[in-house]
Amino acid sequence: MTEAPSIRTLDRLRAAAQAACRARRPEGQPVVRVGLATCGIAAGALDTAEAFRKAIAEAGIDARVETTGCRGHCYAEPLVVIDHPASGFPPILYPEVTPGKAGMLTRFFLGEGDPRFEHMLGATVANELIPSVLEFGRFNREQRLVMDRCGRLDPQSIDDYLADGGYGALARVLAGSPQAVVAAVGAAGLRGRGGAGFPTGRKWELAAAGSAPLRYVVCNADEGDPGAYMDRTLIESNPHQLLEGLAICAYAVGACQAIIYVRAEYPLAVKTLESAIAAAEARGLLGPEVLGTAFAIQVSLFQGSGAFVCGEETALLRSVAGFRGTPTHRPPYPAQKGLGGHPTVIDNVKTLATIPVIVERGAEAFRAVGTPDSPGTAIFSVVGDVVHPGLVEIPMGVTLRELIFDICGGVPGKKRFKAVQIGGPSGGCLPADLLDTPVDFDALSEAGAMMGSGGLVVMDEHTCMVDVARYFLEFTRNESCGKCTFCRLGTCHMLAILERICRGQGRMEDLERLERLARDVRDGSLCGLGRTAPNPVLTTLRYFRDEYEAHVVDQRCPGLSCRPLTAFYIDLEKCARGCDACVGCCPVDAVFTTRTRKKGIDQSLCVKCGECMVACPPEYDAVRRISPAHLAPVIERPPAAEAKT
Amino acid sequence: MLLNPSAAPPPTEPEVLETLGGIVARFDRRRALLVPILQAVQAQCAYLPPETMPLVGRHLGIAASEVYGVASFYNQFRFFPPGRHPIRICLGTACHVKAGDIILENFERKLGIQEGQTTADREFSLERVACVGCCALAPVAIVGETVHGHMQPSKVEGLLLQIQIAREKAQREAAAASPQAEDPSDD
Amino acid sequence: MIEIRVDGQPIAVCPGANLLEACLAAGIYIPHLCHLPGLPAAASCRLCFVALGDRPDPVPACTVAVQPGLEVLTDTPAVRRLQRSALELLLSAHTIDCRRCPANRRCALQRIARFLKVPLKRPDLPPLDPPGGPPGTGGELVVDPSHCVLCGRCVRTCRRLHGHSRLTFAGRGQRTVVTDWVETGPAIRCTDCGACIEVCPVGAIRLAPGANDPES
Repeated sequence: MTEAPSIRTLDRLRAAAQAACRARRPEGQPVVRVGLATCGIAAGALDTAEAFRKAIAEAGIDARVETTGCRGHCYAEPLVVIDHPASGFPPILYPEVTPGKAGMLTRFFLGEGDPRFEHMLGATVANELIPSVLEFGRFNREQRLVMDRCGRLDPQSIDDYLADGGYGALARVLAGSPQAVVAAVGAAGLRGRGGAGFPTGRKWELAAAGSAPLRYVVCNADEGDPGAYMDRTLIESNPHQLLEGLAICAYAVGACQAIIYVRAEYPLAVKTLESAIAAAEARGLLGPEVLGTAFAIQVSLFQGSGAFVCGEETALLRSVAGFRGTPTHRPPYPAQKGLGGHPTVIDNVKTLATIPVIVERGAEAFRAVGTPDSPGTAIFSVVGDVVHPGLVEIPMGVTLRELIFDICGGVPGKKRFKAVQIGGPSGGCLPADLLDTPVDFDALSEAGAMMGSGGLVVMDEHTCMVDVARYFLEFTRNESCGKCTFCRLGTCHMLAILERICRGQGRMEDLERLERLARDVRDGSLCGLGRTAPNPVLTTLRYFRDEYEAHVVDQRCPGLSCRPLTAFYIDLEKCARGCDACVGCCPVDAVFTTRTRKKGIDQSLCVKCGECMVACPPEYDAVRRISPAHLAPVIERPPAAEAKT
Repeated sequence: MLLNPSAAPPPTEPEVLETLGGIVARFDRRRALLVPILQAVQAQCAYLPPETMPLVGRHLGIAASEVYGVASFYNQFRFFPPGRHPIRICLGTACHVKAGDIILENFERKLGIQEGQTTADREFSLERVACVGCCALAPVAIVGETVHGHMQPSKVEGLLLQIQIAREKAQREAAAASPQAEDPSDD
Repeated sequence: MIEIRVDGQPIAVCPGANLLEACLAAGIYIPHLCHLPGLPAAASCRLCFVALGDRPDPVPACTVAVQPGLEVLTDTPAVRRLQRSALELLLSAHTIDCRRCPANRRCALQRIARFLKVPLKRPDLPPLDPPGGPPGTGGELVVDPSHCVLCGRCVRTCRRLHGHSRLTFAGRGQRTVVTDWVETGPAIRCTDCGACIEVCPVGAIRLAPGANDPES
């Protein structure tokens, strides 16, 4: 039996790519891999890469520096892997590599073969010489289906992706019928990773039905949830997997045009996608006659201009057409009647990046991961008060406790865990006694939160839950499109009430009014943004009502966070007289020296920024924060003339 | 004097006006290109001068008010020239939990402007952004194109000082290169 | 013609007709602001809620195409709760000064408030500040943001009559306004047809003083 033309073409491309990779990477040459995604760059990875290049050139060592994407271990950025085969050591992962450390590692490891154990995180593979990172929960509890290649490959190199088996799924799919792909995705039980969890197979079926002359595929990369950045990382670290998924989707539903809607706030992602699309077109992996078949797909980029509501699919389509991004009533759904009235499939980045995995491994293998109703893995960005923040890919069904404590190391310091916020502005806050909730679409919705796009913010005891609700309401108020009454005005009134409570001016009847408004906005709004906007309020009222009551009744903020309800003071028992750290750091000159050379805080000037608390040396630890504010002991400020002397 | 967004924008510089027409002419006359055209104008001018709306409207055959309606919907578009060093403070969830608002307040205090405003000398402008996706580095401030992670209130002053020193150095070098170009009325 | 039942009462309608229009034609009043017959539903005012037989949550009647045997209830507690809430929200952003308002007695808000038995002034929802106008000077039309309910009837009517709209929404969220933002240079002029003023349910649009004057 002869092989299908698409597979033959791919084999040829792959052989060429492997040859190009070999030519670029001489056998046995030591290599330094620096992660260069946005987060790595923000942590200074560009300087680190430059320092390696300079040090290697100066020392005249035969080694090369390569750039990769992000591994998701953001707490350890800039993250560097050094593979020095001749040293006898396996590839080693180094965290927080500053330019200084880069010089040191070049000299000792690349130059003398001493890997400097004290600076390493561990080997990237299990071995007998040195401990491997795979012994840590942060590494061994993850199951990377979608992010497998992130941080391993150079996102700028299509050869890397091809040589690693990339575009194999596309070739395989093109050898079969479009219906078979839709069936496979349906059988895998994949649910949309954009938040609501709609079955992807059913959406594709809907769009493929009928005899539309034109169909579109849109990739939704308008990742607007504050606190979520996995779409950005996937694009920056492995753009071709997304493009492959996009092409497979287009083939399955019969589309010949695809649009990637990406936030303009992600300049590196835009640049990476642009060059990836050009490279794929040059190899015949996109464009006319994909892999030598009759299938054609034209991929274009659309930069979203900063409107959270454009993550909602009908609003996104309005925006692409050049209008204000206001949502429209559904039905009709975009899969039936979308861009220009044509069937349009809109899928999230993570959904599309999962497609090649399903094709490669088969629906059965995909279903074997995760839970029966939410198969596969979930990618979370775990941030906030947690020891090892970053991106984590875990099978669905893992509990929040495992995710936060076993994998991400729990809450730093001696502080207690208070709550976890899941799903961004559409999600909710879950308390400690719901930590055994498994992460899957249905269990989270039941608890009042939402999978959302997978943003997960851990909060310790010094977080005020009323303030968190206020924060999210402020966000949705600002991002409301203003079209429908409930979302436009309901969020304003809810925010006004929350602001009042945070100032200590709330009344008990405010809580009932807040709850009533929240329900009305949830039930009455036009689109998903408005319908889910009250979730942060409803969940905090449900699980942390006592905190609301403390604000209203006692003017007390239990999290010591709402500034009008708290005060800083200096514990004179502990203050060390001579030290002037708090006086020097105060931005408003509220900290003063008393007659006994101890310090006091002028409450009328204090802006409660907390700088003095940070500045006070840990051996004294004399600055305290207290709520309600009137409990702070009053220390008289000496007259100005005397204080100056 | 502050450039308050409720006031009319300053008159557009002639050379900016000249480039506008060239940018718009590069695009087809399709409504779907409205946002890309506006993005191209802003990429060039750093904001949308008031002349943009009728110019783009004529190009696409729609009312200038409609162009303004679309532009004013999106956070990305500015109707005022930003400072030479635009400062953006991230107030995403992670940054909020890590007290990003205090960082913003400190910038406001040090620069003497409110968020959304530009300093009188057009050096700095201050904006808040919803999330730049660097949550693990919270709180985050973006000066120009550079992301500064793990910000602290005490780092604010140093950051501004750094910019000022760089600017003064550049000015000195420019003055040394062409001494006659110095404006005598400047001191 | 097909038959549907509204609050138990059978009415005959064309298949596929708009439920809100069908009810209004049959003399059954459903509060509404944004709907314009013959145009796709904006569904933005969130007032015309009804309960449909098989669905638990109220839906806006303007988005429903009638089907044979449809059971509609216009007066369930859930429907009234959402309608009253939407009206109270709209009133909180609307300057209540009826005696001096040109739309007094023909104002849609007055009629809906009477129908839903909602007082025009609510002590528990403090009035919101109206959004400021956009920068630049106004054109021939003046839209008062402290009265406008953002139903968009004027914008859509202008577009239907002239193919494009001088009036447009600008801004976003609570700061959304309807404006005919000034044009600097030759551009689409307002034809003074007055259609937008006609369709405004709350009298928020008027001609600017001197707009008809060819000298200005």
